[in-house]
Amino acid sequence: MAEPVVGRPHNRVDGPLKVSGRAAYGADHSYPRLVHGYAVTSTIAHGVIRAMDTSTAERSPGVIAVYTPFNAFTIHPVEGLRAPLQDTAVAHHGQIVALVVAESFEQARAAAFTVEVDYDERRPAVSLAEEEGNARPIPPVMGIPPVVTRLADGVPSITAALADSHITVSAAYTTAPQAHAAMEPYSAVVTWDDGRFTVHNGTQGVGLQVQTLAQALGVTTDDIHAVNPFVGGSFGGKYRPNAEVQLAAAAARALRRPVKVVLTREQSFTGTVIRSGTRQRVSLGAAADGTLTALSHRALAGAVADRESAELSAQRTSLAWYAVPNLEVRQTSVPLNTPDPTIMRAPGEASGSFALESAMDELAVALRMDPVRLRIKNNATVHPYSGLPFSGKHLVECYRLGAERFGWRRRGTRPRSRLDGEWYTGMGMATSVYPGFRNPATVKVGLRADGTALVSCDTADLGTGMWTVLPVVAAHSLGLPVRRVEPRLGDSELSPAGSVGGSCGVVTVGPAIMAAAHNAVAALLSLAVGEPSSPFHGLDPADLRYDSGRVSGPGRSMDFDDLLEAMGRSGVEALGTAAPGDESERYVFDSFGAQFVEVRVNRWTGEIRVSRALGVMDAGRIVNPKTARSQIVGGMIWGISAALHEGLHLDASGHLVNADLANYLIPVNADVPEVDVHFLDHPDTRFNPLGSRGIGELGIVGTAAAVANAVHNATGIRLRELPMTLEHVLAGLD
Amino acid sequence: MRGFEWTEPDTITGALDAAGGQAAFLAGGTTLIDLMKLQVMRPSRVVGINRLPLTGIRVDAKGLHIGALTRMSDVAEHPEVAHAYPVIAQALLLSASQQLRNMASMGGNLLQRTRCTYFRDIAEPCDKRDPGSGCAAVGGFNRAHAVLGTSPHCSATHASDVAVALVALGATVDLRDASGTRTVDLDSFYRLPGGTPHIENALRPGELITRISVPRLPWARNSAYLKIRDRQSYEFALASAAVALQVRGRRIEDARVAVGGVATVPWRLPGVEAALRGRPPGLRTFEHATADAADGARPLTHNAFKIPLLRRTLVRALMSLEP
Repeated sequence: MAEPVVGRPHNRVDGPLKVSGRAAYGADHSYPRLVHGYAVTSTIAHGVIRAMDTSTAERSPGVIAVYTPFNAFTIHPVEGLRAPLQDTAVAHHGQIVALVVAESFEQARAAAFTVEVDYDERRPAVSLAEEEGNARPIPPVMGIPPVVTRLADGVPSITAALADSHITVSAAYTTAPQAHAAMEPYSAVVTWDDGRFTVHNGTQGVGLQVQTLAQALGVTTDDIHAVNPFVGGSFGGKYRPNAEVQLAAAAARALRRPVKVVLTREQSFTGTVIRSGTRQRVSLGAAADGTLTALSHRALAGAVADRESAELSAQRTSLAWYAVPNLEVRQTSVPLNTPDPTIMRAPGEASGSFALESAMDELAVALRMDPVRLRIKNNATVHPYSGLPFSGKHLVECYRLGAERFGWRRRGTRPRSRLDGEWYTGMGMATSVYPGFRNPATVKVGLRADGTALVSCDTADLGTGMWTVLPVVAAHSLGLPVRRVEPRLGDSELSPAGSVGGSCGVVTVGPAIMAAAHNAVAALLSLAVGEPSSPFHGLDPADLRYDSGRVSGPGRSMDFDDLLEAMGRSGVEALGTAAPGDESERYVFDSFGAQFVEVRVNRWTGEIRVSRALGVMDAGRIVNPKTARSQIVGGMIWGISAALHEGLHLDASGHLVNADLANYLIPVNADVPEVDVHFLDHPDTRFNPLGSRGIGELGIVGTAAAVANAVHNATGIRLRELPMTLEHVLAGLD
Repeated sequence: MRGFEWTEPDTITGALDAAGGQAAFLAGGTTLIDLMKLQVMRPSRVVGINRLPLTGIRVDAKGLHIGALTRMSDVAEHPEVAHAYPVIAQALLLSASQQLRNMASMGGNLLQRTRCTYFRDIAEPCDKRDPGSGCAAVGGFNRAHAVLGTSPHCSATHASDVAVALVALGATVDLRDASGTRTVDLDSFYRLPGGTPHIENALRPGELITRISVPRLPWARNSAYLKIRDRQSYEFALASAAVALQVRGRRIEDARVAVGGVATVPWRLPGVEAALRGRPPGLRTFEHATADAADGARPLTHNAFKIPLLRRTLVRALMSLEP
């Protein structure tokens, strides 16, 4: 047997392409006769377009067409997606209201500035706080109703359970709306050739992209070929084709020329999708020994169509995290005039964990109890909502190991008891939980006469490391070195593996790779006994053995490439399919973690800096520790960003005032300390044969609360609003 | 961006001849090109001045002289600047990013336009960009805006860090046009917005900053620049302080104090300087001397925190100096 390949650190196989600029992202593609589309965006947040004057733009140099709601091609509505230019309604500031197409980008941009729009302006709803009175329960999500109440026998209500508790804490928390702000701007290059579209753009799944675009364009899925092997970050924002993709495709067909649409950085903020802000209230009741007796979590977020919400702060945390006999979760939404709220990394968990884990810290303070001990005390051994056991849960080990590695015992228990020069220091911690999702997938694995193997499917690599996961799992399954396996992905003509989202990439694709590798070997052996030119001709396949690239039979053994050559074959390939079965009726597949953070708060000016961070993660078998670590580190950095920097600001007129990377603050290197990540090693084969669980979103869950809890430990100041900017600290300093 | 005429003369007189009217000078381009893309600035002619002989750093008996086209990074890394005027080097190193500092000129830095989001969006009213149109910031999101030197027409902060240090040190700028060269105190070079926020400084049309001079001030070795902001790099100041103290025998002989990020122009605080003189350095003195530092401040909806922050920033900066 060759050395195991899964579980050892591997460099990204696509790394050299990316750092040398040879990886072609969507907008890097070009075609002969390509033309450029530049978007015109609304300058109001709510209203109706009365008229548009495009006459100057139409006469501008190089301009080919100006599309507006008054003359545009038809784009069919797709559920949950806004069809651009199909009506005159303006729902938010910066909405795309016209597309100017010209021979060059500069000509399109210059002409776009001349388009005049006459609006009938209405008062926008921009603030969750002001619209709270219009909040309504959301429709059920995955069978879970908007209000879930679980009460112990004889307890009349959650209010009664809280009132009867030995101790209670109750507080309101808010989180800011956020932009996905991926490095790759929203963009698309689309050709239309003889009735067939070719689409290049960042996407989380070419399959869903083709389906959605086919509906929007009124064609069949066979008419669209999506080729998107590289994606410069998505985080949920490119899960579905936004306006720029739909417009590029419709314009390419209308003009019979390839069209490129690249949104500017500002338009990428306003003209696409966001994560909604939230307003939450968490009330906890506990016995004197810290045992939770009641938990109420109410959350409000911005609504998508029909009052759905993507940011399910209460449902996605409090139904799953702690053992508590009395539980009530209430999830409401309200429509706002903002860019459309959609999923963003850990939708619900990221914001919900800030409220729940801050509240747990407030309870620990009220009880004068160590926050780690409080969480261990209330660890759920079965899933609180479904009552099912977890497939593998080692959260207590995460807490204990994390506390030891971080030096938690050196934490001060009195605020402002630790001063380093002019900086108060403190430590905080929080829990991370993210549910396990898995989709069906079909993968192709081939063995080739040149001694290499091929692994392919239509999955996406958003920068996460999927390009490397494919050859690592295939090499592991075939007993070959990783360098001898060539991966292919991101092309809708490859076998279907679904979209990546919900941290399901590895657990969806990995088992299918194992199955395909198994099938490819079986096909090789069957060929070996069936082909007259094979040295193994006529043997029973059961007499043959495949191990680490060699085929052995009675009395002889040879490498698979020599065998293929002997048979005059260029290769052999097979598909393999893997899908979840009924295991989710028996188990819950959550991933777990504990996060520890140390902060410094300036005693004069109140800035908060994170000086150390540790995440200890229980996520099953880690396929590639190197890229897995990057996933957790990236998530934790985003958590620090949410805690200290990040938030979209809408003014009273609904104007998105920080729609660029100068004003929408994400951390720079100077803001990010050394982040330490440790993975437990407990493979979870109840979930899937690979034994892995999701890690893409786990890292962001809990971080912001850990920072807030550390700030309280350092200063005694409890901050319940994200981001925690210094004016809120100043108010509590002497 | 609109079409424009481009010239790049080799001489100062050539540049001055090409200037005037709707022309703009282009040095590092780190402000102008941004604003041209946004159509906030729409010069019909752009005069590239990078070939002009206006670079170099010289220290003589009178003080420090910096050619207006010297790049921010060259000044920040100059050993004599770092030794004799730490407040200047620190203010530069805390500005923008290394890449921007490598491009941006010192003269251009003094003239950089405000970061007010409403100034930068041509769909919004702005008396600075479009006189008479009004001010969207007053009723808008104004957390980053000024509390000092404001008017109903404009509360936009001046964005430069090094200008705060230079104003504290009493720097002058040489201004040149076809009629000759004049020297102006940097402090009086900047204009309060009042009813004319579009007039930001004393430059006449077509006039060029050619040189920045800082008087000799041996005790400026005990100086510092402190910048408070929402992230630790690549971000503008919520409040900043440039401070220098001359201390002899536990007594403050002289002081220089200016603040940034809180005012419409770099804001020198002569009252604080006077209140520091003659007293022993230390927390009590600093708190007492800065008590009235924000006198006259007019907060808007979201920036009242800048009043206590200004004072705290000053105290922290002064505490960082040698007693």
